[in-house]
Amino acid sequence: MAKDRLAEVLERYEAVIGLEIHTEITATNTKMFCGCPVAFGGEPNTRVCPVCLGLPGALPVPNQAAIEWTVLAGLATDCDIALWSQFHRKQYFYPDMPKDYQISQYDLPFCSGGLLEVEVDGDGVAQRVDLGGGVAAVGPEAVADDGGYRTTIGITRIHLEEDTGKMVHVGGSEGRIAGATHSLVDFNRAGTPLMELVSEPDIRTPEEARRFAQKLRSIWLALGVSDCSMEEGSMRVDGNVSIRRRGESELGTKSEVKNMNSFKSLHDALAYEIVRQADLLDAGDRVVQETRHWDAGAKRTSALRSKEEAHDYRYFPEPDMVPFSFDPEWIDSLAERLPELPDARRARYMTELSLRKHDAGLLSADFAQACFFEEAVAIAGAARAKPVANWMLGDLAALLNAEGIELPESRVSPAMLAELVGLVEDGMISGKQAKEVFGDMAASGDAPGAIVEARGMRQVSDTEAIESVVRGVLEANPVEVASYRAGKTGLIGFFVGAVMREMRGQGNPKVINEVLTRMLSG
Amino acid sequence: MAITESDVRHVALLARLALTDEQVTTLTAELGAVLGHIDELQRLDLAGVEPTAHPLSMTDRTRPDVVVPGLSRELALLNAPDTDGTAFLIPAFAGAGEES
Amino acid sequence: MSTIDLSALTAREVRRGIASGDFSAREVAESAYARIEALDGEVHAFLQLTPELAFAAADRVDRARAAGEELPPLAGVPAGIKDNMNLIGTRTTCASRILGNYESVYDCTAVSRLLEAGALPIGKCNMDEFAFGSSTENSAYGPTRNPWDLERVPGGSSGGSAACVAAGMASISLGSDTGGSIRQPGALTGTVGLKPTYGRVSRYGVVAFGSSLDQIGPFGKTVDDVALALEAISGADVMDATSSVEPVDPYSEALGRGAQGLRVGIVSDMLAMEGCGEEIRRVVNSSAETFAALGAEVGEVELPSAQHGLAAYYIIGPAEASSNLARFDGIRYGRRVPDADDVLDLYMRSRAEGFGPETIRRIMLGTYALSAGYYDAYYGQAQKARTRIIQDFRAAFERFDVLLTPSTPEVAFRFGEKSDPYTMYLNDYYTIPVNLAGNCAVSVPSGLCTTAGMPMGLQIIGDYFAESTLLRAAAAFEEATHFEPVPPLVRALTGTEGGE
Ligand SMILES: [Zn+2]
Repeated sequence: MAKDRLAEVLERYEAVIGLEIHTEITATNTKMFCGCPVAFGGEPNTRVCPVCLGLPGALPVPNQAAIEWTVLAGLATDCDIALWSQFHRKQYFYPDMPKDYQISQYDLPFCSGGLLEVEVDGDGVAQRVDLGGGVAAVGPEAVADDGGYRTTIGITRIHLEEDTGKMVHVGGSEGRIAGATHSLVDFNRAGTPLMELVSEPDIRTPEEARRFAQKLRSIWLALGVSDCSMEEGSMRVDGNVSIRRRGESELGTKSEVKNMNSFKSLHDALAYEIVRQADLLDAGDRVVQETRHWDAGAKRTSALRSKEEAHDYRYFPEPDMVPFSFDPEWIDSLAERLPELPDARRARYMTELSLRKHDAGLLSADFAQACFFEEAVAIAGAARAKPVANWMLGDLAALLNAEGIELPESRVSPAMLAELVGLVEDGMISGKQAKEVFGDMAASGDAPGAIVEARGMRQVSDTEAIESVVRGVLEANPVEVASYRAGKTGLIGFFVGAVMREMRGQGNPKVINEVLTRMLSG
Repeated sequence: MAITESDVRHVALLARLALTDEQVTTLTAELGAVLGHIDELQRLDLAGVEPTAHPLSMTDRTRPDVVVPGLSRELALLNAPDTDGTAFLIPAFAGAGEES
Repeated sequence: MSTIDLSALTAREVRRGIASGDFSAREVAESAYARIEALDGEVHAFLQLTPELAFAAADRVDRARAAGEELPPLAGVPAGIKDNMNLIGTRTTCASRILGNYESVYDCTAVSRLLEAGALPIGKCNMDEFAFGSSTENSAYGPTRNPWDLERVPGGSSGGSAACVAAGMASISLGSDTGGSIRQPGALTGTVGLKPTYGRVSRYGVVAFGSSLDQIGPFGKTVDDVALALEAISGADVMDATSSVEPVDPYSEALGRGAQGLRVGIVSDMLAMEGCGEEIRRVVNSSAETFAALGAEVGEVELPSAQHGLAAYYIIGPAEASSNLARFDGIRYGRRVPDADDVLDLYMRSRAEGFGPETIRRIMLGTYALSAGYYDAYYGQAQKARTRIIQDFRAAFERFDVLLTPSTPEVAFRFGEKSDPYTMYLNDYYTIPVNLAGNCAVSVPSGLCTTAGMPMGLQIIGDYFAESTLLRAAAAFEEATHFEPVPPLVRALTGTEGGE
């Protein structure tokens, strides 16, 4: 779908988007209601017990750690933590759900009323056509100095529940339900603690939705509550989308979009859905309330088979468990466990390490990257934070991207990067040489110092040695020396080049420049 | 609030029970009679009374996050009506309702 | 045939006899199976016999004695286990076709504890399917017959557990009580049946009916035996988040202290219930006189909201049951129709064909009560009525230590006599409010009715976790009445045997 098509639609319609984000808590040792280990994959049905298989007579007992992680997640997103809460049963039949009800939360979730501030910059800004001219019309508080804007998205609630098992459909194509002759059910995942976050419908563009989900992921990673892998399904984002004509206040009929397995899918699926709904309305049709499945390959959503009944989950208080009465002091003690979150980290990078806002934002948003950065800065020194950041966001990012790997998988360690920055800043090698050394160390994993030694690259910065070469060059070119002294100062480049050639490229250009300027004017 | 045959059919679907027409008729009468007997609840003035989900006032019962041994796969699958040796085998899936 | 007559021996006497070398645990087990061989063809208290497990346990006891070890409190005591409790090495069918071949892969905590205390697991006891009923007529495998009169029901749902003790096939047994399923069959078979305070005994491993109502409890011939069994199975369990951490008292030690100074309240408004038999009403009044004669302070109390217990219970119980029974779907275990077109068809027919009529009724009722549009009117209102009932009991226990009602409005009825579901439900009129409130209560034999010659039961209700006081009152009453009920069937058998 062409980008301008979305822009055109958004000129006339306003999108109203709310997200439901399920995140598996992977930080606990055990499942939500039993002592089976939490892990990804593995041989089918090897991490199960009477409780997570829903055997007759088995009872759930809630995992204290999972509750604490959920409260921490709520505290990290400015939620109110309930002093009185409980689990409910959400009832529907499904083969991957052992008890045919899911233990979840209903009207008394652990966390509610949170906020998340989202910043949009770059191309995505244009999707907010109502912000044309930089005036904050709805929601966004201010248009930030770098051409972006900031908006606050409400978080309705975060509750805790249990994940389902997994089904593999056999006999059809590519594991899809369609055409399958039978299915296999594996309950290893069943009972994994699952946080469900529901946002307010405060999101107006696909880009805001993407930024919201990315921001949330960065917070969850900073907390350490989950590995947040969208591919492996430990973080799953569903969207509710409706549109209305600009100026109208009544909400349109919404559709629910599922199966968005990456941030790009999230953005593209919502964009597709907005345009699809606009096309319907433009043609005089109605939007049908339904669940739609995003096909990232075909780049379209399609309606899931409509259910044979309207949902009636028959929620009622889970009688196998007693309510929770949290002590405010206990909540305060948990708050003390909160690590530095991405926003605070960015602010610190800007004030203490003098990074630009853009760089500070990029480095602080990704927890693994922030850890790498801080480790490298701790070795290189705070004064060299900027070049460290430049290397990470430049060559290192490009390398990771080219190799398609994550930072922790790279051969480049924080210590190696810090050493490389040190060599450049101390004038031992030139910037050009540093790029060669970087390529070498990323490929071999050798320390940059050793590479410089081995390749004989060490740059000559010794003033006396340079003076003697300069002296020789000046003596060999008397005509040029006279011209320079007569005012043709542009000849400095000629002299630098000559000295460099003489030194086989290993002279420190900065020192050569200094010495030449001094001796030519002397 | 008399229960109708259509209510009974709807509830039977929610409860996943394939009832015969005869069962629907019988159950409509039987459930209607039971609901009639317990209709006294509707007449009680219980405004402002807190509902009780649990008879005892216990709170905050949790377990520590410690792994305990579960079942071997052999035992997990022991009572399965059908398996492939590693997983529970079920017939073709024609939308028994879907959810995440 | 063995020479030990279990119907003449209490659990305490069995242990003592083994400890002193009068007989071995193996002989005790043999005598239990001999009695079963003789009578269970007619009574049908058991769905499955587990002699391998029982004899293995008996041999452990005999070896321990031979080694001079201290014997555990229930050493060698033969016990029946209701068939809704998991025990490895047994099928756990809940008397349902849907679980006909279901083999337990883990142990119910209460059963484990009973066996750790030395009891011998004789077999799994018949019951109403999934504990829905008051007669065992709802068992998919045929009813249990009352040892007092084979034409009459033993009560239910724990009818098999009650009948096996009444017939001397086991010294004690475990039942479960959601609305009276221990106390009612206890009353109808002349046995002592105790429902502990909610949370006193772990529910882990008992197939759930109404999770906020269910409690496992013991049957015995004497209050003392019931106290011994309760002591063994009680206490907190990490596997049950609703089990209480209240300390477990040495219940059997509270017995024998009489009723002097106990404050005993007759629940006068419940006693006036329309359907309550005259003689049953009279026996409660004379029981109160017995307590007074023992030095208790006897008074009257009303529980005005308890009359709504039945209505609240027939919403809350089925609502929870409808949810608890969702898991019997033919996916992971249990009956599955062989020719399902798809998963929905598999669910719909496996469940409809696997469940009996009363189970289907309860699931339907509960699903309806929780469904959109009806929740507030039914479930919500029932939860509030439950609050009122709890308040009534709390107020009553400020004035009294124990309360008295009949256990049942009438004695054991004949098979097929109560074909209308609601008439059957009325049998639990006195027991249901106690489950809603969560208190403990015991049914103690109070005599035989003059017309039918069938046993009657007195229900004594105690405060939360006041099982010691409850059992003390029950023991005092038991001792004062000198009523040792032995069914004619057993008298005839032991009479012809001629004993030792
Ligand atoms: Zn488990």
